[in-house]
Amino acid sequence: MTMPARKPIDPSLLIGALAAVAAIAFLLSLAVGPSGFALGPGGEAGSLIFWEIRLPRAILGALAGAALGLSGAALQGYLRNPLAEPSLIGVSGGAALGAVLAIHLGLSQTIALALPAGGLAGAVIAMLAVVTLAGIQGGPVTLILAGLAVSAIATALISLALNLSQNPFASVEMVFWLMGSLADRSLTQVWLAGPLIVAGMGLLLVLGRALDALALGEDAARSLGIDLARTRLLIVAGTALSVGAATAVTGIIGFVGLLVPHVLRPFAGHRPGLLLPASMLGGAIFLLVADVGLRLLQPLVDLRIGVLTALIGAPFFVWLVLRTRGELAP
Amino acid sequence: MAFTVLAAVDAHAQGATKPTRIVSLDLCTDQILIELVDRARIAAVTHLAADPSVSAIPEQAKGIPFTRGAAADVLRHDPDLVLAGPFGVSATVDLLRRLERNVVVVPQAPDLAGVRASVRLVASAVGETEKGAALVDAFDRRLAAIAPATPGGAPGAIIYQVGGTVSGTGSLAAAVLVAAGFRNMATEYRLARNGQVSLEALVAMPPDLLVLSSAADEYRTAIADNLRHPALLALRRSHASIELPWQLWLCGTPHVADAVARLAEARTRIEARRP
Repeated sequence: MTMPARKPIDPSLLIGALAAVAAIAFLLSLAVGPSGFALGPGGEAGSLIFWEIRLPRAILGALAGAALGLSGAALQGYLRNPLAEPSLIGVSGGAALGAVLAIHLGLSQTIALALPAGGLAGAVIAMLAVVTLAGIQGGPVTLILAGLAVSAIATALISLALNLSQNPFASVEMVFWLMGSLADRSLTQVWLAGPLIVAGMGLLLVLGRALDALALGEDAARSLGIDLARTRLLIVAGTALSVGAATAVTGIIGFVGLLVPHVLRPFAGHRPGLLLPASMLGGAIFLLVADVGLRLLQPLVDLRIGVLTALIGAPFFVWLVLRTRGELAP
Repeated sequence: MAFTVLAAVDAHAQGATKPTRIVSLDLCTDQILIELVDRARIAAVTHLAADPSVSAIPEQAKGIPFTRGAAADVLRHDPDLVLAGPFGVSATVDLLRRLERNVVVVPQAPDLAGVRASVRLVASAVGETEKGAALVDAFDRRLAAIAPATPGGAPGAIIYQVGGTVSGTGSLAAAVLVAAGFRNMATEYRLARNGQVSLEALVAMPPDLLVLSSAADEYRTAIADNLRHPALLALRRSHASIELPWQLWLCGTPHVADAVARLAEARTRIEARRP
């Protein structure tokens, strides 16, 4: 890394501070909405708004953001690739395709769990496809190219599935899946996806020591007693579970997993292990704040959450490409 | 504009014989055409006419050949009249006109007067002016039979659709609400640019009547989750709501009178409960 080394912050202080900010962002998300600022339920309509509309939105925002931030940090650490991120490497696209198929083949109608399961399966397939295409040791550019190919295929197949489904809202649905949305989600979706997201994040969080060791190279990691096959399995399973389930209920939300770990890396003293929980909290903060901003802007500006994260994340991606151009050259 | 077109078509229809190979390129002209002429004279309609999720008369449209609307496909039927709507087919219409085919573009009906104009326009284009007039008369009789509003101010209603889309002012759906004696509440919410209302805004200020354009489980897709949202279901338990299939008001056809009648019925129920 070419970043100047900064004096690392005490890990518990970093995590504590991020957790506090995440809690504030969560409360803010509960307090803000089109019917005005209110902390806590008041009256019949107020209680409906608080429990059934704002609470699920805040929970899903926090969980989806955490899943994306954490899996971005885990992928970057494991692949030792600064550009690795769920949406850029096609995992989100695969998850969305899996969810779309689960809906339009009628599976989610029979078993509700088929929706997140479809997202999960799509994410696993996309991830395996990318790794097969690029190779574990492939350089950053190869990985991005493979991710681009998988994303393009996933997007084309989503569009095909929606066209074949013959429903009059195919184009609106396309926008939902490609640009993401936290609007009007309910506790139904929280129960459907939440436990899987949490389970996936659990698998990724135990990877701290392995990623720290891997930063020294694979041989060094092996000599430190790291089981590389198990690490790989946990990365794939954890990312597929968390990102797959989240994408199945929110659509594709890009760039969170790219932006958040890079912003937090200097504070984590470039230790991939510490960056995991930090990026999980950072991802939740980023998505919650972006969603609150979205609601404050409405109806003056009508943006999709995925468009907002891309507007913030894409310029950063460009900057990252420019900064690491030397390293990225084949 | 509709009326200048109407005059031109009349002149055409008087001299010539009635068209016998008619192609329709729009769901709305499909439905009016099917009501007006014998099937033998219809060469093709859109595939939507037989689709029960958008058409008011899918049964009547069954068996009529359909066209996807490309000029080459239309010419295959060698039409002596092509009916088109305002959406999506302007390139086809231009091409057909350049090939000197007889094309009549029927504007979208923005209100009940527009429904009458559409019926008359199609009727004169196909040479069935009398049948058209009869259809309009029946439409007006149905509307006249609807119970008048009782004094005390029109109750507020909103047409809430998949994805939270609301029918705003200037749409046929809004005109249907007003004709049934409601106040369209669309303007009272902070609508997003694309005409959507958030569920939260709806719950915070519930309308006297919530009009749903499809049944909760008609579309099992993610964007239709708003119709199954627990908050909306709670709202439907505590406030008046009806499901008014959009097939009835999507197009400016005489079926619009059915929509007005159903809404007016709901209005009388609401007014009866008033103190």
